[in-house]
Amino acid sequence: MCGIHELTEKDLQPLTYTPAYLDKIKGMRFFDPHVHMTSRTTDDYQAMADAGVVALIEPAFWLGQPRTGVDTFRDYFNSILGWERFRASQFGIKHYCTIGLNSKEANNEALAEAVMEILPQFIYKEGVVGVGEIGFDDQTPLEEKYYRAQLELAKEAGLPVQIHTPHRDKKKGTQRSMDIAIEHGLAPHMVIVDHNNEETVKEVLDRGFWAAFTIYPFTKMGNERMVEIVKQYGSERIMVNSAADWGISDPLAVPKTAALMHESGIDLNDIHLVTYINAVKAFAQSGQINEADFDLAGNIDQREKFNGSTVLRGGQQPRINKNTTIIR
Amino acid sequence: MAEYVYDRQQMSEGLAAIIAGNSSDAAREWLQQRLQKAASIPQFNQTFTAVPRFTGKNIIVVSPEQAAVLQQQVPGFFVHGWTLDRLIRAWWLLQLDTSDKAVYLDTIEKLFLSAEMNELAALYSALPLLAWPEEWKLRTAEGVRSNIGVVQEAIMLQNPYPARYLDEPAWNQLVMKAIFTDKPLHLISGLDERRNTALAAILTDFAHERWAAGRKVSPMQWRLLTTFITADNMADLTRVWHSADQTEKAAAALVFANTDYAPAKTLLASDPALTAEIQSGALSWDVIAAKLSQN
Ligand SMILES: [Zn+2]
Repeated sequence: MCGIHELTEKDLQPLTYTPAYLDKIKGMRFFDPHVHMTSRTTDDYQAMADAGVVALIEPAFWLGQPRTGVDTFRDYFNSILGWERFRASQFGIKHYCTIGLNSKEANNEALAEAVMEILPQFIYKEGVVGVGEIGFDDQTPLEEKYYRAQLELAKEAGLPVQIHTPHRDKKKGTQRSMDIAIEHGLAPHMVIVDHNNEETVKEVLDRGFWAAFTIYPFTKMGNERMVEIVKQYGSERIMVNSAADWGISDPLAVPKTAALMHESGIDLNDIHLVTYINAVKAFAQSGQINEADFDLAGNIDQREKFNGSTVLRGGQQPRINKNTTIIR
Repeated sequence: MAEYVYDRQQMSEGLAAIIAGNSSDAAREWLQQRLQKAASIPQFNQTFTAVPRFTGKNIIVVSPEQAAVLQQQVPGFFVHGWTLDRLIRAWWLLQLDTSDKAVYLDTIEKLFLSAEMNELAALYSALPLLAWPEEWKLRTAEGVRSNIGVVQEAIMLQNPYPARYLDEPAWNQLVMKAIFTDKPLHLISGLDERRNTALAAILTDFAHERWAAGRKVSPMQWRLLTTFITADNMADLTRVWHSADQTEKAAAALVFANTDYAPAKTLLASDPALTAEIQSGALSWDVIAAKLSQN
């Protein structure tokens, strides 16, 4: 008989697989300030909760193909404010969002006008922590027009702004985004500049803006590079996110990066700042984030229920051991 | 049909009294200010949306006298366990002008269309208060289809609107959705009053499907077969009666205790201890509900 070793009692036990990196970050809490959960499965919420993600922000963005009418925008905003928030709550994750017209779709002027008309209805809603993600993609005049208009909206509502910086000509796009924000009277501490890299980080920090980094395979940052950035620039006003979406991306990027930072000898306090505290601080300027809610979310929204435990059963999802071949 | 089926003024004052006892001076001042702009629809909408930002979301405290005022106007209307923002939103809806029915209906419908989940829950819990109540049947049926727990609960639990206004198929849909999503059935207003033959048939079908899949059937659902026992479903109830699970057996016993169907009576009589428990009130549907919630 070849290849068959003797079966022991151990082989018959269910496999419980805990990736090694989870050990390194046991007990830590994370805030992912940029992740497009609408493109992810419920399994991702479960894995994020298990890895210590207690809260996240879903910025309104591009769904991969252009929307053809304002109604689909309305439905999209409703879904990130409603269904996504509920789905997250099922795993004890507090879900916030930023609302805005993204740069790619700003190029369809008729549609952009219609979206601008409904935005005020949405930015005052509960749990909307900013106007975002807005800014430049191809750096066209229309992108600039709607970027400016939305900065005005944010200013009026007293909300932070979350800026998407372009892939092409990033350095110039980032500079322009900051210049225009200042021109519209937004204080740098109310602006979170996203998708930074080695080329943009220094100026963003020097000018007093928040510098967010997206850990996204192939196109944005790798987390080894992120470790180097924190080593070089420290932890002040820097934050890490996954920007996970429908592309090849990783909703566990924040906890994984924390583990790698830990392994690389970065101080635990600095890790806590860049993977949790800084993002909470920046977006709490909206008046819509209360850290105590993160704990309450763990109670599966008990406040919404009637007679406590009777109803709680209804909201809870069965846990599934994904490492068995049996599906019940 | 009248716009309001109760005295709007009395209800509005009743709610305002509860708001007064549960909110800060700052919140009340803000509401007072907003009231002056309520005639403009965009301002009305923005206030509805912004409520929690200015009032907070504490769980309200309601005195028995305050609750009685609401009950007198709309029987079965509860605000117990509500958060302050939900209560204020319900009150705010009563401040919307009803002089033009079309404008009123359109404004409320649009609030539903752009609502996030707490707004939806507030709107659905306020269904019993809305003007032209018969106009909200389709909207209610739509809400029942929601996948969001808090929204479903706002419609299904302790809300007198569905039992009063939904037609039978929509009502049955609501009950089945509550069962699918594991809601506490005993908190559905009008559950017993709106039992019907069609629902009894749907439920036995559903039980067969569950049993075939090796899954359990909630003991609570048999309550809906009371007064609809036939030779056909008696076989199912007999199976429940013979279950090793004591709660299941107790549920069958409660059904049998409230029917005139002779074979059921005979079966119940074969267990004098259980019969006595029911007669003394020691066993009731509420007792079963409490037991299930501990699981
Ligand atoms: Zn994004």
